[in-house]
Amino acid sequence: MSQTVVRRTVVVTDPMGLHARTALAISKIVGQSKSQVTLVKKDRQAKATEVLQIMTMVAELGERVEIEAVGPDAAAVADALEPLFAGMFNDETQESA
Amino acid sequence: MQKLQGIAVSPGAVIGEALVMDTEGFRIPRRFVARDAVVDELERFNKAVTAAAVEIAHHRETVSAELGEKYGAIFEAHLQMLQDSRLRGEVEELIRQRHYSPEYAVSHVLRRYAQVFQRLESSYLAERANDIFDIEKRLLRHLLGRRREGISRLTSPVLVLAHNLTPSETSNLDRRFVRGFVTEVGGPGSHTAIVAEALEIPAVVGTGPFLTDVSGGETVIIDGDQGLVILSPDEETLARYRREAEEKRIQATKLEPLRDLPAETRDGVRIELLGNIEFPYEVDHCVDRGADGVGLYRTEFLYLGAETEPTEEIHYQAYSRVVQAMGERPVVIRTFDLGADKMPNMPHPEDNRNPCLGLRSIRLALRNLPVFRTQLRAVLRASVLGNVHVMFPLVSTLLELRQAKMVLADVMEDLQEHNLPFNRDMPVGMMVETPAAAMMADRFVEEVDFLSIGTNDLIQYTLAVDRANKDVGGLYNPVDPAVLRLVAMAIEAADRKQVPISMCGQMSGSPLYTILLLGMGLRRFSVTPSAIPEVKNLCRHVTIPECRIVAERVMTMENARDVKNYLKEEVKKYVEEVAE
Repeated sequence: MSQTVVRRTVVVTDPMGLHARTALAISKIVGQSKSQVTLVKKDRQAKATEVLQIMTMVAELGERVEIEAVGPDAAAVADALEPLFAGMFNDETQESA
Repeated sequence: MQKLQGIAVSPGAVIGEALVMDTEGFRIPRRFVARDAVVDELERFNKAVTAAAVEIAHHRETVSAELGEKYGAIFEAHLQMLQDSRLRGEVEELIRQRHYSPEYAVSHVLRRYAQVFQRLESSYLAERANDIFDIEKRLLRHLLGRRREGISRLTSPVLVLAHNLTPSETSNLDRRFVRGFVTEVGGPGSHTAIVAEALEIPAVVGTGPFLTDVSGGETVIIDGDQGLVILSPDEETLARYRREAEEKRIQATKLEPLRDLPAETRDGVRIELLGNIEFPYEVDHCVDRGADGVGLYRTEFLYLGAETEPTEEIHYQAYSRVVQAMGERPVVIRTFDLGADKMPNMPHPEDNRNPCLGLRSIRLALRNLPVFRTQLRAVLRASVLGNVHVMFPLVSTLLELRQAKMVLADVMEDLQEHNLPFNRDMPVGMMVETPAAAMMADRFVEEVDFLSIGTNDLIQYTLAVDRANKDVGGLYNPVDPAVLRLVAMAIEAADRKQVPISMCGQMSGSPLYTILLLGMGLRRFSVTPSAIPEVKNLCRHVTIPECRIVAERVMTMENARDVKNYLKEEVKKYVEEVAE
């Protein structure tokens, strides 16, 4: 199995920032993957399986976060994570409201 | 067993279960564990995490089913946070290395996480601190069991122990279950004191720090008569207090039939017994005890409980409730008696070195006429609903009284212009609570319709003693001869001019002083409603000549202790008679 390293920088476009439910979705995707994923914001980093760590990284609207995935499915995981930073949950909330 | 001495602010004694609260409505004891207990404590922590996790998972399912998956996901996020490896590691580290109790460690670690969010101003994420607090509270609930509960949703009787209580906290209290208060800080005028008296439950304030020794759930005795708090009392002490409580209950039952009998001395002199109240609902306590009226309606809480200055309508609603409940019986509304620091939207005085001798009460009212006028308008509007009297606090000079009366006249004119009904002949009175007012009572009676002696301040100003000050509090004594002479001056001046005079301080509510005050010529007592039956009982057992003899003897005494001892003996003659 090849150990691919994928680094990708995303910008938080969710107006509510990286909130609990996003953090939860991230941890789920990463938990089901075969890769180790770390999120990095400036000097802070979080293990992407740990909701509390992701949240206390405090990524707000407009901030850059680097996704660092290491593992056989690194690229796929990064692909799956990227839309979460755009606030898909937010749209959903508004629709149902 | 641990005994604490504080200041007694609301009488009675009660035994109960401690509920300790901190500023967030909860309390975490700063506790440490013994080295050899660390393993057990770690296991206790892990059990709490497991229990909390089960609870959250259950919650998640319910919420998902009821509100949809999206809302349930919030609890799943909580679940994930709870099980965060770093978080658990940090808590375990504190227990293992620094011997923190699991409660203290949990609270320590989670609050640090919460702070990360709280520092974010006006951000959605700042709200996330609540998620952390939620997890913290959940864990602590499992660690402490039922010893730790929110104060607003109580299910069994508790005694509330707190550093301090804010007006909003006290207003959130479930009155059905709170049986007593203890606060580390505060004095006789603190919210806790006022609320406790209104609720008629024992309270002790100003005990100094002790909460770090209590985790909640312990048995506590609050002795609101002696100002004592006893933590984890021994069997002997418990038995003693239980016996006293039983005796009190029997005594109260005996006094019940007095409700419908007049407060009349054996020689047929009718004494008026009125109630002191703070909150409108207390008028019911007055009615229940058969009070002759409300002799002191304090209005401070209208200001203290509010973020903004209360509107005329808020005043009016409160006054109407009381006035209507009393019907024909008098209701004496006292205008606000506060320092500037307690008033919302009021500029703080520049010089506040000595608040008791500073800008407060009527002085403050006369400097802030719009606030004063708002209150007077509401009082006047309520005056057509019943028998309303208005009273000014802390008057020390004739000029102040005249100014206050001028403002009142001005407000009357204003109401007239707007065709709003009011009672033009509403009686206007003042408190006698400064030595100046007592000494000038013969002049004041020329310009008021009634007087009311406020002993709490009168004692403080006469003896130059702050009752809350532990070093000198012992000098504070209602029967100090100096105080008694001033009281006598006020009563004599009022009698000469046939101006009604009452006493509304705490002194008038203690049966210990009833005989003396009757002998000094007092015929109107305004007391905390719960004290009415006892005072009435005593009135019904004495004759005025008997009381005069006691008063005359007292006035020859040279110190408070002699007076108090003598009065104790005298009262016993009558109280024992009752007990038979």
